[in-house]
Amino acid sequence: MSRLTAELLLAAAGAYGACGLAVGLLFLLRGLDRVDPAARGAHAFRPLLLPGLLLLWPLVLWRWRVLAR
Amino acid sequence: MSARYVPVGWTRAKLAYDAVLLLAVATYVLLYLHLGPHLADPARPLDGPTLLMRAWGSAAFLLLTLALAIGPLARLDRRCLPLLYNRRHLGVLTCLAALSHAAAVLDWYFAFSPTPSLVALLSSEPVRPFIPFGLGALLILCLLAATSHDFWLSFLTPPAWKALHMSLYLAYALVVAHVGFGALQAATDPALALVVLASAALLVALHVAAGLREARRDAGIAPPAPEPPWVLAGPAEAIPEGGAVTIRPLRGEAVAIFRHQGRLSAVTNLCAHQNGPLGEGRVVDGCITCPWHGFQYRLEDGCAPPPYTERLATYRLRQVGGEVWLDPRPNPPGTRVEPVAVA
Ligand code: FES
Repeated sequence: MSRLTAELLLAAAGAYGACGLAVGLLFLLRGLDRVDPAARGAHAFRPLLLPGLLLLWPLVLWRWRVLAR
Repeated sequence: MSARYVPVGWTRAKLAYDAVLLLAVATYVLLYLHLGPHLADPARPLDGPTLLMRAWGSAAFLLLTLALAIGPLARLDRRCLPLLYNRRHLGVLTCLAALSHAAAVLDWYFAFSPTPSLVALLSSEPVRPFIPFGLGALLILCLLAATSHDFWLSFLTPPAWKALHMSLYLAYALVVAHVGFGALQAATDPALALVVLASAALLVALHVAAGLREARRDAGIAPPAPEPPWVLAGPAEAIPEGGAVTIRPLRGEAVAIFRHQGRLSAVTNLCAHQNGPLGEGRVVDGCITCPWHGFQYRLEDGCAPPPYTERLATYRLRQVGGEVWLDPRPNPPGTRVEPVAVA
């Protein structure tokens, strides 16, 4: 691929990751306790979820909405 | 499990498993770095960074092969079951090995280019198909490692989580293509090709063998006992101490009959976690231990030990002569049934 395409692709990946970080942090602080009772009062495991939240954030938003109903 | 989440649910067995795994990987990489230069073609000596890249790449490939082999191996031979209990840690380690390989590649091949190394990797000419194959596999490994905590299982639902984690097979295919289009093209001796082919062939053979054995076993339905609704579950000696046999009644679910300290107990064969085959598990620390992810249940009432809350249906047993009889009607989950002493 051309250099420009590679740069665009990486910029898109960076933007996706940045959105993921924002959604992930918000979910860990505001959403997690509401969607999963086993997470209440448990904090040490939360940083472990961040990589997954970063990668799967669109899916996380959707499940969060479904489970919060 | 339904108790409060912890970062890692360590047990002594898991600590030992991880220690052995880490030691094995460290030994492999160190040996590779030391022996690699002596085994390489003297006409094309290997430099340090290339060796490091190959050491991590081959370690990741072997770990991935092992991760995929464990499932069928445990179904074929019960002695391999302990390997299955902590497979998620093996997956995370595989991902770390693959990331180390990728970091070594970026550090060496693209470190001196004026363009940022990732841009250089993606736009390198001529087009090298092994790069997208490798990146695809790495992305899958990262995704699976990142979603290995129990939280993801309940958040995504077990069927969706399981489907996601089946993509490990796709990752394996991508890795084989990555090696085939990359290192194999440059290899001067057939050793690498042989290792890759043998690993892939071994995986296929193991899966076929485990599938055939299960198909054969599924065909065996327990015969009725002289007194309905009891069915014959075979001789008590056929049940190994600390293990189980799985009985399939004509109607209803398969039942696992365990033998522990000379006493027999029966529970449903389906684990309350993700329907793992409990009858292929073992008794560990006095509890039935699921071969898939290690959930545990007490023998006498099918309840997970506190603080966990999962419960299994239990079944009545009886011994007539040397023969075990099973009442195939399940008790409500968590019902206490006194274990039957083997006569
Ligand atoms: S522990 Fe996961 S299926 Fe049994």
